[in-house]
Amino acid sequence: MNEPIVIENLTKYYNNFLALDNVSLKIEGNENVGFLGPNGAGKSTTLKILCGLIRATSGKAYIKGFEVSSQKEKALSQIGTIIETPEFYGFLTPRETLNYFGRLRGMRGSHLTDRIGEVIGLVSLEQWLNVKIEKFSRGMKQRLALAQTLLHDPPILILDEPALGLDPRAVIEFRQIITEAGKDKVVFFASHQLSEVAQICKHVAIIDHGKLLGYDSIEALEQKYGTLENAYLQLTGVPGE
Amino acid sequence: MSEFKRLGIVIGYEFLKHIRRKRLYVILLLVLITEAAVLIGFPALMDGFPDSVKLMAALLSIGPTMAVIGAIFFSGDAIAGEFENKTGFMLFTNPVKRTTLVIGKYIASCMAVAILVIVAYIVVCVSLLLIYQAIPFETAQSFGLCLLYGACVVAVTLFFSAISKGAMGATVMTLVLIMVISGVIESVLMLAGQPYWYLISTAGDSITMVYGGIELMLAAFMPLEEMGNFPFEIESPDIGLSVLAMIIYLAAGLVSSLIITNRRQLS
Repeated sequence: MNEPIVIENLTKYYNNFLALDNVSLKIEGNENVGFLGPNGAGKSTTLKILCGLIRATSGKAYIKGFEVSSQKEKALSQIGTIIETPEFYGFLTPRETLNYFGRLRGMRGSHLTDRIGEVIGLVSLEQWLNVKIEKFSRGMKQRLALAQTLLHDPPILILDEPALGLDPRAVIEFRQIITEAGKDKVVFFASHQLSEVAQICKHVAIIDHGKLLGYDSIEALEQKYGTLENAYLQLTGVPGE
Repeated sequence: MSEFKRLGIVIGYEFLKHIRRKRLYVILLLVLITEAAVLIGFPALMDGFPDSVKLMAALLSIGPTMAVIGAIFFSGDAIAGEFENKTGFMLFTNPVKRTTLVIGKYIASCMAVAILVIVAYIVVCVSLLLIYQAIPFETAQSFGLCLLYGACVVAVTLFFSAISKGAMGATVMTLVLIMVISGVIESVLMLAGQPYWYLISTAGDSITMVYGGIELMLAAFMPLEEMGNFPFEIESPDIGLSVLAMIIYLAAGLVSSLIITNRRQLS
């Protein structure tokens, strides 16, 4: 098993609340997959299990063949993530933060220094490289989070609403960066924005009430339902029904 | 990359956190003010410094003890803060064992406490040299006990940090345990003539008691012959048992915080 992401029969309960109900999904090859669903559908729960932040009640998740709960460090070495609104240590600067996380991932020396320069340039934070993060706005933290995600050049990106709360220009820049990165990486990308997902991904998985309702290419969904929007609305159900 | 190298990286950045934060310097300032209060207040109220250098050393050991108690304020958020402030979403998604992160945080906190304790003992030693031109041998023992007590208090704080939702809760719970609950039980057991060496507050008392026990402290304020009128027998804590108690608290606090943090979910 060497697929980028494999999810097998994942079930997750928060006390008595069923957040994920026997979800299975296999991402093969270099696909960029949008993960769509309304609030509380189970998107973040799925991504958090993939990132080893929470444990599934039952079922397994694999990253590049590494089972996340039993081989967590090996699985995490394959991914870059943005989960929820990113927060950093306010007492550190972006340079120190990226140095810290880069070194934890085994990067060092001029390679790390050069790479920090590259990713900071990519997210346009050059002038803030040595300023303490406690002075940063939410949007700047999101930019830094994206830089941190790309720092070690992971083969897989797991992103949970990475552009949430950004201004329109920053959203466009983010989309361009992720699209560019997605050319040689697998991007698993949770979002509410159908148009954003359609521009970055060729496949989508739709989830609601903890159940995976569909996983197909956007092209196939558009052929079947007319538009991606129709596919989303019909699969997740009209409100009140 | 070995987990040991990662541990070194974690310690370095966690220690940087303590160095950059104001609370370390606030605690240091409080320690210095406390020492100054003893050095100025005692001679002013008691017509000069005591004759015994050991008594003065014992009185001045309140500064280092306060430094250790102050450590609670910068260890309380070590684990709880990662969950409360959601910085854990960045930290815990790195390929590092949580055990490494917790031990790194623990060692970094101990290093910060050690700095405070070392500064406090420098003040003690310089003061004793200036006043008495002598430093009792027991000061070295007191220093060692204080470092051990610091490691013990940080471990207990880390345990509360691991079980708490927020850093404030962890800090308050640790302070209440050490300053209130343990202190009250110690007093009750002392009055009842029951053993109380296993209490964390008693273990902390060893930092002072190493100079000569409770009698030495009381002698500064009351003639020795009047001590026999107490309705109960005062027994100084045994230093060896205090060391044992601190090691137990240290091991239990650290191991339980490792187990809890490894199981804790960031949802």
